[in-house]
Amino acid sequence: MLLAGYTFRNLCRARELLAESPDEHLSVKYIAREVAISPYHFIRQFEAVFGMTPHQFRIQSRLDRAKLLLAMGERSVTDVCMEVGFSSLGSFSDLFTRRFGSSPSAYKRHARTMVQVPGNFPQELFPGCLSLMGALPASAFRNFQEARPSLLR
Amino acid sequence: MRIKLTSLMVDDQDKALKFYTDLLGFRKKHEFPAGAYKWLTVISPEGPEDIELSLEPNANPAAKTFQKAMFDQKIPLAAFEVGDIEKEYARLAAAGVVFTTKPTRMGPVTIAVLSDTCGNLIQLYQPTM
Repeated sequence: MLLAGYTFRNLCRARELLAESPDEHLSVKYIAREVAISPYHFIRQFEAVFGMTPHQFRIQSRLDRAKLLLAMGERSVTDVCMEVGFSSLGSFSDLFTRRFGSSPSAYKRHARTMVQVPGNFPQELFPGCLSLMGALPASAFRNFQEARPSLLR
Repeated sequence: MRIKLTSLMVDDQDKALKFYTDLLGFRKKHEFPAGAYKWLTVISPEGPEDIELSLEPNANPAAKTFQKAMFDQKIPLAAFEVGDIEKEYARLAAAGVVFTTKPTRMGPVTIAVLSDTCGNLIQLYQPTM
């Protein structure tokens, strides 16, 4: 599929609207209208470009924000759940666990042991470019020439 | 000093592996668990086996901001050379891949730009000289 320039811009704008309104007060149908694409084509084109439906993108944005709030450590899990727009603690916890591999409370506990200065997150929580390589044991590499020298000491 | 490894940030490593192998045709080289994420690299079946592309999680909020800004400005974050760009364009478009630029002559190369569904625009190019 070849996207016209204006459709590309509209889909980028829709992504912003979805991220800015995580609590669903702007429906997907409303956002489709806002960017002048029929709801059917909007969902189809959004998924083809971003690899997830608008609804899935919105859930992901909420969970990413929840993760950040939990890492900051100042809010309870229930507070964070409400803050990012979930009304059920159970479904929030379930979705969070499926996406990040640990429950919100376990993640919060883990983050608390790592974050010394609020707002200053260690790489293990939010890895940066190529930083994952530093977290691997030397045994993870097929031969030692592939490993960073610092891992071999 | 040699270039043997470069990286792309992706919003979901499993989805990225599927796209880069099933659709683009790369081959998985490494996949090791690293905490909540993975050390994941692919290689080209047509290229040297020791030149790897790492598909990294864009979990860092700064990385997300950068990736989104580049995408919104239609700037590709990587470029891959192909032998026949018209053929690749037809094959990938038929498989449902979205292009923002169809094969277009740009001086010494013909380029096309696609969305990798993981937050990046990728340029394909074929040298024409």
